[in-house]
Amino acid sequence: MNNRAIARLLQTPAVLLLLVWMLVPLGLTLYFSFLRYVLNSLRKPEWTVPQLSNWRGFGNYEYVLYKSKDFWFAIQNSLFIVGSILVITVVLGLAIAVLVNRSFPGRGIVRVLLISPFFVMPAVNAVLWINMILDPVLGLNGLAVEGINHMVAGLKDFPLLGHFFSLWPELEPISFRATQTSAYAVIMMVAWQWTPFAVLIFMTSLQSEDQQQKEAALLDGASAWSQFIYLTIPHLARPIAIVVMIQSIFHLSLYAEIEIVSRGNGNKNLPYLIGEFTSNNIGAASATGIFAVILANIVAIFLLRMVGKNLVD
Amino acid sequence: MASLTLRNVRKRYEAAEVIHGVDLDIEDGEFVVFVGPSGCGKSTLLRMIAGLEEISDGSISIGETEVNEVAASKRGVAMVFQTYALYPHMTVYKNMAFGLKQAKTPADEIDRRVRAAADILQITDYLDRSPRHLSGGQRQRVAIGRAIVRDPKVFLFDEPLSNLDAALRVQTRLEIARLHERLKTTMIYVTHDQVEAMTLADKIVVLRDGVIEQVGSPIALYEKPQNAFVAQFIGSPKMNFFAASDLSKKASKILKTDLTDDMQIGLRPEHMQVCKAADAVVTGTLELVENLGEVALVHLITDTGASFIAKTEKPPKEAKGEAISFTILPELAHYFDKTSGHRIES
Ligand SMILES: Nc1ncnc2c1ncn2[C@@H]1O[C@H](COP(=O)(O)OP(=O)(O)OP(=O)(O)O)[C@@H](O)[C@H]1O
Ligand SMILES: [Mg+2]
Repeated sequence: MNNRAIARLLQTPAVLLLLVWMLVPLGLTLYFSFLRYVLNSLRKPEWTVPQLSNWRGFGNYEYVLYKSKDFWFAIQNSLFIVGSILVITVVLGLAIAVLVNRSFPGRGIVRVLLISPFFVMPAVNAVLWINMILDPVLGLNGLAVEGINHMVAGLKDFPLLGHFFSLWPELEPISFRATQTSAYAVIMMVAWQWTPFAVLIFMTSLQSEDQQQKEAALLDGASAWSQFIYLTIPHLARPIAIVVMIQSIFHLSLYAEIEIVSRGNGNKNLPYLIGEFTSNNIGAASATGIFAVILANIVAIFLLRMVGKNLVD
Repeated sequence: MASLTLRNVRKRYEAAEVIHGVDLDIEDGEFVVFVGPSGCGKSTLLRMIAGLEEISDGSISIGETEVNEVAASKRGVAMVFQTYALYPHMTVYKNMAFGLKQAKTPADEIDRRVRAAADILQITDYLDRSPRHLSGGQRQRVAIGRAIVRDPKVFLFDEPLSNLDAALRVQTRLEIARLHERLKTTMIYVTHDQVEAMTLADKIVVLRDGVIEQVGSPIALYEKPQNAFVAQFIGSPKMNFFAASDLSKKASKILKTDLTDDMQIGLRPEHMQVCKAADAVVTGTLELVENLGEVALVHLITDTGASFIAKTEKPPKEAKGEAISFTILPELAHYFDKTSGHRIES
């Protein structure tokens, strides 16, 4: 045996393990997605056992695509949530990174504090936000609105100006568990948690920026804004691509936040939809899972292209 | 084009003062070179003129206007950095056009000026390339081109050739000389290479530890260094220094000067001539010969332990350990005060 063959042989167990690890679940999911398979059914008890006689062909896929009302909404909503989080974290991350990149007293402490949201567990993060900040009665949201209303009410008794304030409407706190708003709540809390990640990556990259280039730009008459646009942003292209890629992978599979905020009310993504199907209809859940794999691959190919191009340059 | 005036310019970083009151007049169109050992404040002074460092004290004027409070971009200066500092994400063309674009120059005017500059520097073929795909010498030219298009009143160069290999350095040095010939703009050039200083400068400014040691034309610095530091800094190999006791008994007579013990006698290696022992100003034991082909550098040591170098046309016939005697024309000897280092006119 030559060296190559030995190397191959030695790699085999690890490769096999990985293959089994990935292929078995994928294979089972694929298999279940073609079966009628539910966890319990009084009418058709035979459907509760996964067996070939329950073969349904593409029936589960058809059901998910055309009959279940949430599939297209979940895809749309997934992309909306991920896209919004990406825009917010990248923009905020850039702004904060540039801000704390200058030297000022207490910079070390500020940096540590800035990173800390990233160490909060996602479920804890969601509970904190929805109860302590966004709650329309007990949270900061409710308290702030109440405070403003109170102040406006007090000002109404003011001579002259009082009339002006009496025209103001009474403000209502927004309920973030509602159908229309629950997605925004999730976007806010996840963006809060992941902005530090972006800041961290951008900050390290900013430190390697060439100062003489900036001085050259200064002599060329470039304003701070021009320097940012023409030098800093191109310099950060690669870290931005990395932040976008890593976050897309993580946020396509958001679950805890959605569950805690509204239990999927008005706000679902594919993993959450799968979770809902799993409570009974394993066949439909599996079909949705296959769709999720396809979506993830589309996004991944798209992102890899983008990052790959950046890395080649 | 403009003259430049520095009056009592100082630079302090926190407590430490690194430029201690510099006075300097630079005339319109002059090519001035700052030389000095590493850390003497050349770059700091240049950056203060450019507006990249604040002026702690004193004043800098370009033309008639004091520029202490004028923003870097409004001073009409252009700088070429040691690391080139090209914008890596722009093509050569865009690099050169960037400053004009920021100044909202019309597009056809930009195009005309960029192409004119590219033509002078022979980089027209690379205009669409990214700086990454250029050699060091080409990048250096782009950096110079970027300075030219802005049509500045003063050019500043901070060790522009130090990243180039020896052959390219000689070539680029010539090109910079030609450029000055052509543009006739005031140029200030920082280097610690004295060959660059001697060949390029109309006027050399020798700095040491944030103080000007001497200002003058290259030849004036070579022929009449005002102190021991300048004498040793200009010229290669550097000037030999002797105490009176190192020289022969007859030295006073040959040099037509009363040699005293509080005096340093400076003799340049290239001025020393081999002679008979009876006529010697100084005699040394041969230690080592470096034969450079066109000349030989002969390292010697006197009986009193002073080592010195002589530059001779041919390697000496003497073997290692044998004595060689040297004399020198009296007008070529330099004398400095031993304690203050100031020149003593003989
Ligand atoms: N930001 C700074 N803070 C404190 N000291 C500084 C700073 N910048 C420069 N110095 C000091 O000022 C002195 C002059 O520095 P400068 O860079 O002008 O030297 P230079 O003559 O250009 O040397 P070189 O030939 O090595 O480039 C040095 O002693 C340096 O340590
Ligand atoms: Mg320097």
